[in-house]
Amino acid sequence: MVGASLLSEASVISMSKGKMYVTQAELATALKDYVGRETPLYLAQRITNHYKNSKGEWPEIYLKREDLNHCGAHKMNNAIAQAMLAKRIGRKSIVAATGAGQHGVATAAACAKLALECTIFMGRMDMERQSSNVTLMNLLGAEVRSVDGSFKDATSEAIRHWVNNLDSSYHLAGAPVGPHPCPTMVREFQSVIGKETRKQATEIWGGKPDVLVACVGNGSNALGLFHEFVRDEDVQLIGVEAAGVGLESGKHSATLVTGEMRKVKSLGHTPLLLEYPGVSPELSFFKDIGQAEFYTVTDQEAIDAYRRVSRLEGIIPAMEASHALAFLERVCPILPDGARVVVSCSGRGDKDAAM
Amino acid sequence: MAFSSTNPTCRTATTSLPSKLHHLTAQLSPSRLPVNSVTVKTPSLISCAVTSQSMPLIEKDEEAAVHLRPDSFGRFGKFGGKYVPETLMYALTELESAFHALAGDHEFQVSVNQEFAKELDGILKDYVGRESPLYFAERLSEHYKHPNGEGPNIYLKREDLNHTGAHKINNAVAQALLAKRLGKKRIIAETGAGQHGVATATVCARFGLDCIIYMGAQDMERQSLNVFRMRLLGAEVRAVHSGTATLKDATSEAIRDWVTNVETTHYILGSVAGPHPYPMMVREFHAVIGKETRKQALEKWGGKPDVLVACVGGGSNAMGLFHEFVDDKDVRLIGVEAAGFGLDSGKHAATLTKGEVGVLHGAMSYLLQDDDGQITEPHSISAGLDYPGVGPEHSFLKDLGRAEYYSITDEEALEAFKRLSRLEGIIPALETSHALAYLEKLCPTLPNGTKVVLNCSGRGDKDVHTAIKHLQV
Repeated sequence: MVGASLLSEASVISMSKGKMYVTQAELATALKDYVGRETPLYLAQRITNHYKNSKGEWPEIYLKREDLNHCGAHKMNNAIAQAMLAKRIGRKSIVAATGAGQHGVATAAACAKLALECTIFMGRMDMERQSSNVTLMNLLGAEVRSVDGSFKDATSEAIRHWVNNLDSSYHLAGAPVGPHPCPTMVREFQSVIGKETRKQATEIWGGKPDVLVACVGNGSNALGLFHEFVRDEDVQLIGVEAAGVGLESGKHSATLVTGEMRKVKSLGHTPLLLEYPGVSPELSFFKDIGQAEFYTVTDQEAIDAYRRVSRLEGIIPAMEASHALAFLERVCPILPDGARVVVSCSGRGDKDAAM
Repeated sequence: MAFSSTNPTCRTATTSLPSKLHHLTAQLSPSRLPVNSVTVKTPSLISCAVTSQSMPLIEKDEEAAVHLRPDSFGRFGKFGGKYVPETLMYALTELESAFHALAGDHEFQVSVNQEFAKELDGILKDYVGRESPLYFAERLSEHYKHPNGEGPNIYLKREDLNHTGAHKINNAVAQALLAKRLGKKRIIAETGAGQHGVATATVCARFGLDCIIYMGAQDMERQSLNVFRMRLLGAEVRAVHSGTATLKDATSEAIRDWVTNVETTHYILGSVAGPHPYPMMVREFHAVIGKETRKQALEKWGGKPDVLVACVGGGSNAMGLFHEFVDDKDVRLIGVEAAGFGLDSGKHAATLTKGEVGVLHGAMSYLLQDDDGQITEPHSISAGLDYPGVGPEHSFLKDLGRAEYYSITDEEALEAFKRLSRLEGIIPALETSHALAYLEKLCPTLPNGTKVVLNCSGRGDKDVHTAIKHLQV
């Protein structure tokens, strides 16, 4: 993808020399050499075998390996692109909010690479639960500021901070939520996931995926996978939200399924990244027009999937991704023989070890 | 003089061999066989193991032996060999045959060989995530520029991006495939930092093999996250309390297990140490690092690297990077070991600097030993470098003067850990940090524009707690 000529072009356009647009080549180089793209589309043979029915039929399960990205999640696709953009438009410092810390870590890493100051706002309880991520952010040179409340409050604080420093700072949104152009921008930067998937599906089996499955917190990894296929009528889009300890309990984060804005009281098991009371406006739109279907999975189902995928494939998925993987238990028995399912393995699960 | 192989997988040499090789076979006559090496059936027949090293142009007779890395007995010069109990000899020979049949270079590509290569390549690509990038570390390079703007260009070979976060998986995946072909259902391994243990547990899960990991009790405490990961992946982690309860003791225990269960069990050794064929095999499975680097260097700047730098514990990531370039005399090879609290403190793991030649874990190599020949306890802040031995090929390259070896203290490594995190947003493993720390000494001496490739052998998430204990973060 990056030939010698592309790289020399990129190196001529130095970041520190005046105002120039971020070229596709520069971003492509960063995604390739820094982030480690393209990520594999991996045939999970043992998971596939697990879903064989008694008639010897089975769907084929492929994992889109966003867990292999630098910093271990899809978050970096967006963080590096926006950080490069911020630098190019002359901003010196980045401000961001983070829930579980994945977006914070990715942002801190991108800022270190690009010599930008970095301030991350994080809810107090989140900081306690995810102290490893806080340490990573500090190591990467970012300042982590504690906020009373949760991710929602951290986001408000980050925006407030940005508004007070509009000339020098840039708010790096990790989620496709908030005012325009944030949702579009985040989706665009994450859409590399879907673009690669199309290309790889063609290479591997000469066709398209039949079903795409992704976990949904605020919606960034789901949109990243889905966007490329939105106009393909024959590709089914499935988003999986967190049902926490069950929808009836009221302690969940299933915004799209229950159709209400809900505050989540986590018992400590609910994956934080899915613990967001809002969701991407675009996914809301998809739900309303029937473009995508949304389901939920409980904490326990997610934990079971976390263990199952670790044992069967030697891949420890993030707790968030485990929600998508857990949904396979319900969808695979009803899929036709030979259906090809691509699941977004949106992150690795080392960070969830403590849970 | 003609000789034929007793092993059907080896090439058969005939009288058409160049005369220099006839002299070589005379050197390998039974009377000169070292103790405990391959059993020779009759004095006129010598078992010939094909090495992956293609037959080199031999200029001087005296230098003939040094170009074979290793020779048919698994020796790199005087280092290497097979110093193991009789019970293991068959298993080692069987392993070597399988390796050559499936994974070695063949003049005529046989289908089983191609099949193995294809399967392995597929797994390296889709499962491990290769090829790993060769990343231009712009800010790190900037850091080493002189006031006049001159300095070397630093590239990082991103083995930290591999699945499981280190180079270890390259070897684990290949050996697991080999084990499956051999019909072995049970896998054992030793681990220091836990990276090789995690890599082994990972591939065992992937291939549905039983997995037992031996780990020093002290290391288990230092690397508890890795212990958790291994167990989550379905492996049994057995604590080793003997000796200093670290890597060397775990290795001894693993070897002991293998001796007992050799028929059902394959031992996935994690480094280029141990008895032949392991140093060669593990090197070959990591050689993808150097092969990719050559290709990527050509793509990026149309040339070769000038200097290669890698940390050395057992030596696997270093051999993986170096091997491709050993015959390129214009490429400098630099290995960096752990100096712990300092070379004079007695608390270090700088085997190649302070060690003496001896036998450990089945191979002759440099090792840290006292006057009575007892292994001395090494120390390093990084568990992966905390090994009193080193791969025999490194000992060989050092004596030959082909590679240079230096050492870095715990403190210098911690500084480098912080430095890369701050400058490039990449948190390196503490092991890798030793190689990175050496750049402080190396770069000021390099001419402008020198291309340095450093093996970023692993990521540092596992070292975060150790780091915060020592650093002001």
